[in-house]
Amino acid sequence: MLETRSISRRFGRTLALDRVDFQARPGEIHALIGENGAGKSTLVSIIAGRLAADSGQVLLDGAALRAGVSAAALRRARIAAVYQSPMLFERMTWEENLALGGFGAGASPRELDAVAARARQIAAASGFDLPPPRALVADCSVAERVRLEIVRALSFEPRVLILDEPTSLLAPAELKIFLDALGRLRAAGRIVVLVTHKLAEALAVADRITVMRRGRVVATMPAADTGEAELARLMIGALPGAPARPPRDPDPAAAPALALAGVTLVREGRRVLDEISLTVRPGEIVGLAGVDGNGQAELVEAIAGAVKLDSGGIAPAPGGASVAVIPQHRDRDGLVLEMTLWENLLLAAPLRARLAPRGFIASRAARRFCAGLLDRFAIRAAAGSACAAGALSGGNRQRLGVARALAGAPRVIVAHDICRGLDLGAAAQVRRGLAEFAAAGGAVLLISTDLDELLECCGRLLVIVRGRVREAPAADRDPERLGLLMAGAAA
Amino acid sequence: MSRRLAAALRPAAAIGCALAAMAIALALLGASPLAVAADLADGAFGNWIAFTDTLARATPLVFCGLAVAVAFHGALWNIGADGQLVVGALAAGALGPALAGAPHTLAIVAIIGAGGLAGALWGGLAGWLRARRNVNEVISTIMLNFIAAQLLSWAVHGPLMEPSGAFPASRKIAAAARLHLYFAPTRLNLAMLFAVALAAVCELGLFRTVPGFELRALGRNRRASAFFGLPIARLTVGAMALSGALAGCGGAVQISAITHRLYETISPGWGYEAIAVALVARLSPLGVVPAALLFGALDNGSQAMQRADGVPAQLVYVVQALVIIVMLAFDAAAGGGWRELLEGGAPDRPDATAETCDA
Repeated sequence: MLETRSISRRFGRTLALDRVDFQARPGEIHALIGENGAGKSTLVSIIAGRLAADSGQVLLDGAALRAGVSAAALRRARIAAVYQSPMLFERMTWEENLALGGFGAGASPRELDAVAARARQIAAASGFDLPPPRALVADCSVAERVRLEIVRALSFEPRVLILDEPTSLLAPAELKIFLDALGRLRAAGRIVVLVTHKLAEALAVADRITVMRRGRVVATMPAADTGEAELARLMIGALPGAPARPPRDPDPAAAPALALAGVTLVREGRRVLDEISLTVRPGEIVGLAGVDGNGQAELVEAIAGAVKLDSGGIAPAPGGASVAVIPQHRDRDGLVLEMTLWENLLLAAPLRARLAPRGFIASRAARRFCAGLLDRFAIRAAAGSACAAGALSGGNRQRLGVARALAGAPRVIVAHDICRGLDLGAAAQVRRGLAEFAAAGGAVLLISTDLDELLECCGRLLVIVRGRVREAPAADRDPERLGLLMAGAAA
Repeated sequence: MSRRLAAALRPAAAIGCALAAMAIALALLGASPLAVAADLADGAFGNWIAFTDTLARATPLVFCGLAVAVAFHGALWNIGADGQLVVGALAAGALGPALAGAPHTLAIVAIIGAGGLAGALWGGLAGWLRARRNVNEVISTIMLNFIAAQLLSWAVHGPLMEPSGAFPASRKIAAAARLHLYFAPTRLNLAMLFAVALAAVCELGLFRTVPGFELRALGRNRRASAFFGLPIARLTVGAMALSGALAGCGGAVQISAITHRLYETISPGWGYEAIAVALVARLSPLGVVPAALLFGALDNGSQAMQRADGVPAQLVYVVQALVIIVMLAFDAAAGGGWRELLEGGAPDRPDATAETCDA
């Protein structure tokens, strides 16, 4: 049995964990749910030995685990964790990464081929795809990275497997296989701790569910005895507002606000974008569904003007002020973490034009403007607008990116995975922001792997598979059919 | 203590630690650390001549330190301030003799402008190679340093050699093109003021203008800069050209105010020392001024120290190196600033730790 006894942990003035007692039994999948900042990630980091608790103990089968133990000791204790942000070396191949992680414990680091073979074996058993041989992690998509982490964790045959929000990046088909794999681990008597904010998922796979709120455990109960409404109430104290009104049909005669024609991009001989043509009209939210890594990131780069196309055209021309892009990797592509929040606003050309007239930055006005934005979008920053972007939590960084895009008053917003890792309230707020933007005549291209989100928010739906985009027929507006299209089935 | 105050005190603490380490080394060598320090200070600030000499020695370090700081803000590792200073001096030395008869102000503008332009071309070339051909600027600027040094050597032995042909030096520049020494025989002149004004301009440019902001954003996150459509190629070439121009002005000022002619040894390695100056200044243009003064004082005081205590003058280089090392160690311990900039871009922070940092 895995057990924590009265664990507390403080970060500065914030009490992240307040005397947390938590138990997970062998042969169970235990879901840990809660909003951003509820303390889930802190708790699993302490269980996995990555963080030290201020007080309290972690026990495995009655024996106390020391905090901050080495990776090797954890492996001996057979605790494996997959974190929300994959911990991989960017400039190394994925095989080298697995080898460095003590992959399979027996494989010599030099025998990368053996590592690759073993990885393929585990991946096949779990139903995952691996990146092409010798691919650099830097070139892997987020989903590929998460899959690598899971393969690595499974290779240890762990007694305790901790998964911190792993499923938000998996495609529906992969998700099912993955959850089946979890079921097999349970059957083998292992302890699986699944951190998630998806209530339906927790209800579907978990045996028991523990709900956290503001650093405390508020309830632990069998999954069979509860439902989404109760869990949501426990998590946030109140149900989130009604979902945004479905968008009305845009004027079919209106000229498109964003038009792509035959957009093609070749990387290392592969057509990562293959003759993509699409239009988004004013007042419309178009959804682009797809398994992560099928060209979405490159498409966003192309629309932002960050890459040169091999052929095709984009109107309006990339780099202009009328299109705002919210990239998937908010830290890597969307923010300068060392700069202040108000400076990060200046990255967007329209805001630069407004807050730096004639090339000189009006820093006082920029700070004021930023403070207003923080207020309006309920972004929590300890030091206000002068805070470094890196000091914000993930959810707040995400909302800053959305706030910045909306504040620039663009005609088009291209948003990639904007609700990833956001809790229910924050996600609803972000979606409402987009819906209001569209209702006011803005055009939105919403790229996501989350089908529920797309079905809820979008009018037309497109599917991207291996760099090709096609329209999903209206008859296919259900998760199962879309899942098949995303996996590459013929329409 | 507030975070900002701690960060501001770090250079002072680093200098203190380096000096303490030096004192221990001196004591082990049998010299009296206090006497050495007194003689060093006396040589640097002891009298009017010594003090103005320190200022004169610090001046080129300010120019080159600004050059390094500006480029480093854009994560452009300009190691070529020395070569840029040399070509600046070369242009000034070549133009200077021809300015006889020109009005004084015009001649000064022309000679410093020529130096700045030559430096801009030298630095801009490395920037262009980086932007168009992705040539690592560390390598190209080091190579351009060698080329500049050979160019200077060839010039003073060949086309620009003084008429008697006895010395490897150029003809004296015209009197009109010389910055006045207001307090002869001291070497005090307007160049230091000019350098301080440039530092203020760089500070404003980097932190108050859009191109400065774009350069800093580029230096800290190249990918995000591409996503937001910043003109990366233009910023790269522009920043390197500006950096070269600053160093080139430093070379021209040296010719105009101090030497009045070209020598093969016009730079004792200011461009390299300037990297240390910029680091101690934590890349702050205004901070470059006191940092350059410190290094200038150490350079200047070292001669007096050698005469009075028999301690080799080279010892101050050890002190300078220790300051840098201690400072980098302090920064690494404080977890940020430099390390992040040097490693290029931001590491992925796990949400487990980030999640708890807000209010």
